[in-house]
Amino acid sequence: MRNTSLLLRATGLLAVAGLGATVWLGIWVTPPDEHMGNLVRLLYIHPPAAWVAFLAYGVAFLASLLYLWPRTRDLRLDRVAGASAEVGVVFTALTLLSGSIWGRPTWGTWWTWDPLLTTTALLFVLYLGYLALRSVPGDPVVRARRSAIGALIAFIDVPIVYFSVDWWRSLHQPPTVDLATRQMYVHGSMAWTMLLGFVAMTLLYCWLVGHRYRLATLVAIAESEGAEVALAERRAEARSDRLVGAGLGRLADVPSSPALEPAGAARAETMVETLGSEWRPEGGAGLAGSSAS
Amino acid sequence: MSGYIEAGYAVVLGGLTVYGTLLVARERSARRRLPEALWRRRPASHGAEPAAGSPGDGTGPTEP
Repeated sequence: MRNTSLLLRATGLLAVAGLGATVWLGIWVTPPDEHMGNLVRLLYIHPPAAWVAFLAYGVAFLASLLYLWPRTRDLRLDRVAGASAEVGVVFTALTLLSGSIWGRPTWGTWWTWDPLLTTTALLFVLYLGYLALRSVPGDPVVRARRSAIGALIAFIDVPIVYFSVDWWRSLHQPPTVDLATRQMYVHGSMAWTMLLGFVAMTLLYCWLVGHRYRLATLVAIAESEGAEVALAERRAEARSDRLVGAGLGRLADVPSSPALEPAGAARAETMVETLGSEWRPEGGAGLAGSSAS
Repeated sequence: MSGYIEAGYAVVLGGLTVYGTLLVARERSARRRLPEALWRRRPASHGAEPAAGSPGDGTGPTEP
């Protein structure tokens, strides 16, 4: 698991380096466009942000589909879906904001009810709803199932957003990278810079999802531990009440709660697997060592 | 260059920096709290005190 942490760190560093290079090339190196002038420089961050939003929702869709499939049902898939959707919402917000900033000098308005803009705003709202659905308290399995269904429903809007510029009259230009015909409508240094922007944003997405997934795992373990602790406390209270009632001579009859201990040990192992040895105390055996005792 | 380009870059890169920083901070905070919650119950159930320097002795885990 230490390798996973190193991989995540390396991904983050590569993403930062890639974004730095994209900004440098995009603002100071690439030439201005014949029609758009310097405004074309927004091309190196706006489409990559939109791409990552699509990618994030695609991953959330796939993970949710796999979760609903009985053979692959696993709460880790639910956490991947949640992590990816949250990152997708951030990138959608940034796409809408950067698009609005680009639209003001190009179209003369910050916002217009253009099909692409409207469906993208709807996508943002749909996934906000999905995140709200995830935060509704309940049994983790029930919550995961309803979230997975929510993710599948929300994903319907993704192809509508992508093809909206073809299906309806739109102010927005067609996609700069056409996935159907595999054509790019920019060339030379502009194309390479945009490609670098896509790669850097994708790496950043991986890094963000990795951290969001780890956070979700920690929260899940903490929630589970909280329930265990509360249950143990209630049982201890009930036991002490019985002790008072029955007298101290019957101490040996008081049942323990052995069912809690294997569960706690299993969760401890999960945590060690998830986090590696990063948080173990200095000079101590850490949880892995102690849990075996 | 017009201010729109700078604004666009600032919004995207600034937004990602803020989100990434918050995410890492939340993860560290959750990681710090979790071992304590886990240890609070474990010594009682095992009938043993946690080792010195371990999260259960009140010092908390050590950050890397």
